[in-house]
Amino acid sequence: MTVKKMFCAAIALFTLAIVACEKEPSTSDLHEDYLVYTAHDTVAEFPEFDTYYLPDRILLIGGTDKAEYWDDERAQQVVAAVAAGMDAAGYTRVADKELADLGLQMSYVRRATYFIGYDNPYWWWYYPYYWTPGYWGDWTGWYYPFHVHYGYTSGSMLIEMLDLVQTPDKKLPVVWNSFIGGLLTSDADLNLRRMLDGVKQAFAQSPYLLKSIR
Amino acid sequence: MNNKYVRILALCLLMLAAALPGKAQIFPNGYLNIDWQVNAPDGSFADKVSGWGMNFEGGYRITPAIAVGPFLSYHTNLGSVGRRTLQLGDGTALTTNQKHSLFQLPFGVTGRYSWFNSSVLQPYVGLKLGANYAQMSSYYYIVKQYDDSWGFYLSPEIGLTIFPQPEYRFGFHVALYYSYATNQSRVLTYSVNNINNFGLRVGVSF
Repeated sequence: MTVKKMFCAAIALFTLAIVACEKEPSTSDLHEDYLVYTAHDTVAEFPEFDTYYLPDRILLIGGTDKAEYWDDERAQQVVAAVAAGMDAAGYTRVADKELADLGLQMSYVRRATYFIGYDNPYWWWYYPYYWTPGYWGDWTGWYYPFHVHYGYTSGSMLIEMLDLVQTPDKKLPVVWNSFIGGLLTSDADLNLRRMLDGVKQAFAQSPYLLKSIR
Repeated sequence: MNNKYVRILALCLLMLAAALPGKAQIFPNGYLNIDWQVNAPDGSFADKVSGWGMNFEGGYRITPAIAVGPFLSYHTNLGSVGRRTLQLGDGTALTTNQKHSLFQLPFGVTGRYSWFNSSVLQPYVGLKLGANYAQMSSYYYIVKQYDDSWGFYLSPEIGLTIFPQPEYRFGFHVALYYSYATNQSRVLTYSVNNINNFGLRVGVSF
């Protein structure tokens, strides 16, 4: 065997070495359904809450530096899905936020301008016109009593549940949160269906929200 | 990082081959193997058999039958996990589908005992000892979550080197191997405690 042949074989194997190095899996089929992440304050006694207030609009994040809300017919379907989850868990929706034990605030990332992984319970300061504590009344702030980590992309939905009862220090603790995320498609109906499925899943994987075992 | 080292090694081998003089025995007292390999991990994390790996090894012949030298190989195995809810502790839950990846890069010392060293077919038994770097990864949403680990590596193998013209020492190589590594990793709710592999190598030998 000549050196020339050996050289050719070495080139072939060299090429193969480059091609065959660490293989990354294809992730194109990971986005058929939305990811659903839920967490809660383990100290919270959910059965002790009876009522909740749910705004009929969704805050839009990333569109402008002023507060914008999503309140069209599609938004109402998402709001209705959250209300259905809360009702099924045994809570009663009230029209007056001052009568509510729990408040839910929903935010939708229309354009990703932030990517956050944080342990800072007051991270929302960095979001312009994010649900301000004043929306819920005479409160000085709200915070996460547990660690959360998010990566925001367009199409992500964030649902936060606040305890409006306790708080002698005038701060609102988030007692439950849900992050629903996935890649948007050009089919708005498909995006909405996935979002509604995600909301349903968020409640299904949070059995501690149930006021009673049925 | 891994790609970088493997490519540097492959480039060195290529340069070595290119710079060699045209003589019958390239490595008079040794051998060099470059193999493509098929690997089957014995586990449930990334359990698909794959051919995404290679093995490089060389040896110096202490005696005509016994050779000792360095080796380095790498391999990736993948797996798919359908949509499911993972309980992450304290009531935190994550529902998603995933792709799993297990990348291994063992290196160390290899030794072999071979028979019929002047014939066309030269069978051997070998043993590799060394360290194993492993990266256990879960891909979901837009996230890659991974854990790196190091472990002790041990791998017996049986093989056959085929030299159509033994005097020229350029031939082909085939081997079956088993490997055991003591790596321990954890990602999300999945854990790996020790890695076992079975595999096949096919390549060239100088």
